[in-house]
Amino acid sequence: MSNNFEQMQKDLYDGKFSEVEAATKTALDEGMGAQDILNNGLVAGMEIVGRDFKSGELFIPEVLMCARAMHAGLEVLRPLLAESGAASMGKIILGTVTGDLHDIGKNLVSMMLQGAGFDIVDLGTDVKPEQFVAAVRDEGADIIGMSAMLTTTMPSMKSTITALKEAGIRDKVKVIIGGAPVTSKFAEEIGADRYAPDAGAAVDTVRELLV
Amino acid sequence: MKTLKPYLKYLSDAQIEEINEGSMSLLENTGIMVDHQEGLEFLEKHGAKVDYQTKRARIPRKLVTRALETVPDRFTLAARNPEKDCPLIPGGRPYSRNGGGADFTIDLETGEFRPLLHADVKEYYKLMDALEGISFIAPVFGQDMPVIGRDILMLREAFGNTDKPIHLRAFTGESLKLMFEMAAIVAGGKKELKERPIVSLLEAPISPLKFLDVTVDALWLCGEYGIPLDVCVMPIAGGTGPMTMAGNLQLLNTEFLAGVVISQLANPGAPLQYAARPMAMDMRTGFSMAGSVELGMMASAGAQMARFYNVPVSLHGPWSDSMSHDGQSILERTYMNTMAALSGANVLVGAGMMQQSLVISQEQLVIDDEINRIAFRAVEGFEINEEHLAAEVIDRVGPGGNFVADMHTYKFLRSERFETKLLYHNSRESWEEGGSTTLVDRAKEKALIIIKEHQPNPLPEDLGKELDEFVSKALKSLEK
Repeated sequence: MSNNFEQMQKDLYDGKFSEVEAATKTALDEGMGAQDILNNGLVAGMEIVGRDFKSGELFIPEVLMCARAMHAGLEVLRPLLAESGAASMGKIILGTVTGDLHDIGKNLVSMMLQGAGFDIVDLGTDVKPEQFVAAVRDEGADIIGMSAMLTTTMPSMKSTITALKEAGIRDKVKVIIGGAPVTSKFAEEIGADRYAPDAGAAVDTVRELLV
Repeated sequence: MKTLKPYLKYLSDAQIEEINEGSMSLLENTGIMVDHQEGLEFLEKHGAKVDYQTKRARIPRKLVTRALETVPDRFTLAARNPEKDCPLIPGGRPYSRNGGGADFTIDLETGEFRPLLHADVKEYYKLMDALEGISFIAPVFGQDMPVIGRDILMLREAFGNTDKPIHLRAFTGESLKLMFEMAAIVAGGKKELKERPIVSLLEAPISPLKFLDVTVDALWLCGEYGIPLDVCVMPIAGGTGPMTMAGNLQLLNTEFLAGVVISQLANPGAPLQYAARPMAMDMRTGFSMAGSVELGMMASAGAQMARFYNVPVSLHGPWSDSMSHDGQSILERTYMNTMAALSGANVLVGAGMMQQSLVISQEQLVIDDEINRIAFRAVEGFEINEEHLAAEVIDRVGPGGNFVADMHTYKFLRSERFETKLLYHNSRESWEEGGSTTLVDRAKEKALIIIKEHQPNPLPEDLGKELDEFVSKALKSLEK
């Protein structure tokens, strides 16, 4: 059986989504457990992808193609995993803060996190503190990720954290911030949990916070 | 007679036509998104097909053609001091400005990376005012200043510290209008400002193909006041633009033409520049790169498109991703700037900037002054005529002689060569005697001297007073 997983991981690495989907179905037909296929086929495959991304061997679009293949398999397993009660990996609310309309960085983070298997609620651009607060309440998210491209909009990140405190839900979520002018020092100053300098680091940071 | 203008060319005439055709067809079939109700109505009135639900305007070819007909082929970035005017003419000499919008600096005294502060601002203006290779100035902002009205305060300081043309940056549409009013005060009236616009502006659609309401407002306000506008198109290849260089250029050109339509149909003849600023995403990290040879290649092709439409062109010049003013910085900015200048750029943008335009430094500005002046010199070419070809002189000196003491040498001694202010060309012995300084050491020393000694041409007192009164009223109106 391990040979099959090897092939599934290789196909996933090459972004062959229909092959991964077919292999997942075959594995189920052969009587393997959904959790087993997820852990030893798909997740193990994405770990290799993550390693090679970090070492600079893989480019972002290649990682996204791998993630697409992983999702093709995951969709097959999802009904079975839901039955067995295997929970989602985590839910993350993303948004570019109020006054700011730049979103390519935030979108990259969103794509990479989805690729890694997290559920994303993307609030878009120009997101006000109260919208973040409402989303945390409505969605029951684990993390909010805020992005800012301008120093003039960065103060809104602090306002959001204050709004979370005032709503009494600051301890319910972790806050990660990023964007061109943002620094780890700024994250510390405003009481964010973490700062992530790029999309790859954002995925790692989310993983660390949710483990 | 001068030598030829050295134009770097990537595109054949047929390829230029192909890109133009592609843009016309994209504008007609795909269209642009205009997040501005009045803008959509305006475009519809002129014959565009508008879908108000998706805010999509599909622009027929004849509209684009009509808009292109009224774009002026030249205009002048005027200066408070007319000697420092920058006339932008296709095929003319390049000018340059610093990069705007840096958030951080590398401290001139300590070398520490830190936020740019209000206290730094005056020093930056003084320095840029003194440097000949910085033709006009984009304000720099202190992070410790209040957010509301920061742009207005910075323009006030710029007017007081330089008599060069000023390139604005506005945080809101409201403050933009107030800044145009300030410019009108300094120019002596709204009509005078239109005749001699002492400020200019950059506006950028969001790639791909999206025009925000603030962008449309700014395009129209520039037209109304006659303020020169950089239609700044900067798709990021692999991110907000296609991965291929040709595709990124196709998108960039399409966005430029859309900007021309919005500007010219509202204000025919409004001065604008083709600001071809192609970007590229680092596909490993998602960062947008400033230093990459392909940026220079795409920009150069963009300059060819600008010449095809017969409008002045502004390109990224001295630019780098480097974290400090090190070898990488010099390498990237020198090839970027040289490629841009040799591609016929009217404006070379970026002096002082590092780290994806987040950082500006005084040493870097001093070095870029030199890099820019070298680029100006390279574009200028050289004189060719009987006297300059010097056959008679060669004959006079003859085989085995030398030219050092010849009258011909004496005559052209000072007019032929670029005069360096920073580069070292002497013996190791005298270099060691002078403290074995590097280029950056010498740039620092020069920056310190300029900041200490340079006295900018002040605003006339009554104008300063009038501006101050206007600014305090403007700030109050913004706070409401």
